[in-house]
Amino acid sequence: MSSFIRKRAFASLISLIGLVVIVFFLSRLTGDPTDLFLPIEAPEEMRQQFRELNGLNDPLLVQFWNYLGDIVRLDFGVSLRRAQPAIDVVLPAFLWTLQLAAITMALVTGAAIVVGSLAAFRVGGIFDRIASLTSLIGASAPDFWVAIVAIVVFAVGLGWLPTSGTGTVWHWILPVGVLFIRPFGLIVQVVRGSMISALSSGYVKTARAKGVKSRAIIFVHALRNAMLPVITVIGDQAAALLNGAVIVETIFGFPGVGKLMIDSVLQRDFNVVLATIMITALAIFIMNLLIDLTYALLDPRIRY
Amino acid sequence: MRLTGLMMGAAFAACAAVPALAQDADRDLRIVVAEEVDLLEPCMATQSTIGAVLLQNISETLTYLDVRGESELTPKLAESWTQNDDGSWRFNLRQGVTFSDGSAFDAADVKHSFDRMMSDQIVCEAKRYFGGMEVQATVVDDHTIDFTADPAQPIMPLLLSLMAIVPSETPIEFTREPVGTGPYVLSDWTPGQQIVLSARDDYWGDAPAVTSATWLFRSDPAVRAAMIQTGEADIAPSIAVLDATNPETDFSYLDSETIYILLDDAVAPTNDVRVRQAMNMAIDREAFIGTLLPQDALLATSLFPPSTLGWNPDVAVTPYDPEGAIALLEDARADGVAVDTQMTLLARTANFPNIVEVMEALQQMLQEVGLTVDLRFLEVAEYQRIFKKPFPTEMGSVLFTAMHDNSKGDPSFTMFFKYASEGPQSGTDDPKVDQLIEDASAATDDDRARLWSELQAYLHDELYADVPLFHTVGYARVAPQIDWRPTIATTSMLPLGEIGFK
Repeated sequence: MSSFIRKRAFASLISLIGLVVIVFFLSRLTGDPTDLFLPIEAPEEMRQQFRELNGLNDPLLVQFWNYLGDIVRLDFGVSLRRAQPAIDVVLPAFLWTLQLAAITMALVTGAAIVVGSLAAFRVGGIFDRIASLTSLIGASAPDFWVAIVAIVVFAVGLGWLPTSGTGTVWHWILPVGVLFIRPFGLIVQVVRGSMISALSSGYVKTARAKGVKSRAIIFVHALRNAMLPVITVIGDQAAALLNGAVIVETIFGFPGVGKLMIDSVLQRDFNVVLATIMITALAIFIMNLLIDLTYALLDPRIRY
Repeated sequence: MRLTGLMMGAAFAACAAVPALAQDADRDLRIVVAEEVDLLEPCMATQSTIGAVLLQNISETLTYLDVRGESELTPKLAESWTQNDDGSWRFNLRQGVTFSDGSAFDAADVKHSFDRMMSDQIVCEAKRYFGGMEVQATVVDDHTIDFTADPAQPIMPLLLSLMAIVPSETPIEFTREPVGTGPYVLSDWTPGQQIVLSARDDYWGDAPAVTSATWLFRSDPAVRAAMIQTGEADIAPSIAVLDATNPETDFSYLDSETIYILLDDAVAPTNDVRVRQAMNMAIDREAFIGTLLPQDALLATSLFPPSTLGWNPDVAVTPYDPEGAIALLEDARADGVAVDTQMTLLARTANFPNIVEVMEALQQMLQEVGLTVDLRFLEVAEYQRIFKKPFPTEMGSVLFTAMHDNSKGDPSFTMFFKYASEGPQSGTDDPKVDQLIEDASAATDDDRARLWSELQAYLHDELYADVPLFHTVGYARVAPQIDWRPTIATTSMLPLGEIGFK
């Protein structure tokens, strides 16, 4: 087990370094931040001064070498726009996103497993039909539309919830609710499919013949075997959320890392771009490792 | 939520009791804006998102351009100013003013603010207004300071309305803890969420009605509009025209931006005045108003709005006359002008609402009179990179469609950049224009206004230097209990002292 973790950590480190190299040079290809930071009327000498002060006049390889030197000391550089260390900008935003992703995925996983399993138990039954229809609608609804409609209905129309922002528990309901819909729809479908094949397998028939109760058959015997593909999809969806729920963050004014990443790409705030990408990449590596370990936990045949 | 509660309360409570209740409860003001403020540095306050929070709230300036009155320069931290015989300016500073850190305001602070802004260790945005001149700040005594400029600057008092004053202890590097002489202090700044200003009790001027103000950031215009409706915010300085449907709460204002097409007189075919005139005649400006652009947008004859000094009311919008344009182009073609040269109409993605449709319509109108015009959109950084001289040549004659902002009250912030032969974004190279810019920049009062008027008419009616299109408008939503209306300066400044409660 520990040698598996070590190997994975090493592989992740290599990927992370590759990512830094790619993002560093690709972001520099998108243009000079000077033209965005200074207004179009600014004289050329001011532009030169800006480039000089921010090291943008150095050859690209020198800039990269300096950056690597700083990164080794865990110095992610200073944000061009905010005059503060990039990591101080990124970490709080990432923690918001982490909370949002964790809450959403916990709710999605619980709800999708229950609904998907029940739907699979009587394929074609009324519950299955309702579950399939709603999950399909959910999986295909565009979230920017759902978000605006949710605000219009629940905040403006009914006045039950705040439109946007943070501060109280009530502020979380709309963003989490909107984020919930898509992965829920998708995972219900996967759970249902996976459960249908598990329920038609030999050991379930044996259990039925023994007279085991339906609930125990679904949630004890079949579910554990059906979970492996489900975990993979859950991991996938969680990774997407960790990258930042850009649309939901933008509409609800939620201070997460997705909107920060997009904004800093648009503003060419390179140090913030790199810091957001490294932090989220690190989180996704850790999450993938946890998923691999969960496989082993669920299926004793898997050994590392 | 609170507002809804209040209004419901008002429905049930006795009428007489309600106004008092509303007044006591609502001393806090919440302002919702589109763009997050990522820096609160006084020397960057000429950047509109930063200035909206800082200027006249935390940081003050020596002089203040009052756009609510007669667009006049009024005293702020300077009580009065006079021009010395040598062309320099003397400012008599207000006494008894303290910064929010307790230190007293004097001439040394003004000098430090200026030197810091001009320092080459940081890049301050406000510095650009002092480009092309040598300026010295000299302390005369504690409450008097001289500004000497070479060449002499008749608008020095106006330029200094752009410099926020910081205490002399402020280090040169950018600060995130602004200290100023204004009526408010920064009491909370949670990045990505809110900025809160609270009123000081030792402010030198009149105590403002707003005791604390919270800035909130929401990118989506529909959400900003909804927040006023639900009572989560009191002022949204910018909402979408589509949402501006309630005349009780939604107000339009000229936002000091002008849309125009830059013409380069150094390349064919725009080097011929008949072609430039034809392009002006080919565009049916009226057709855009109330369709692709808001009903309240104005047709432009200059790159600065009508409230600017010297704006010439006698210059009329070039009438739409496609036949006349075709005739002019024929005439030019007969004289050997390369009228059929490929031109590229360039625009910045998402520069203003409906830009794609507006650009397509402009392209169509230019093509209809027989010009060969391609349309291209560029991402903002790429656009900014090439939108200065030397203009790119690989796309044929380039027609930059741009927005220009001048809410500063004087055409000098426009004319040199956009029309002087040395101007970085100028397609014009004309000795008379250069002379008029030089003369007007050095003139004062009526002379200055007259010279700017003359230049505006010459550019528009004789040179057809570019294609001025529209002065754009913004829409603000204001909660019913708030006594405030947007102005032309609203995008760059939001002095809380001007806001009252009904």
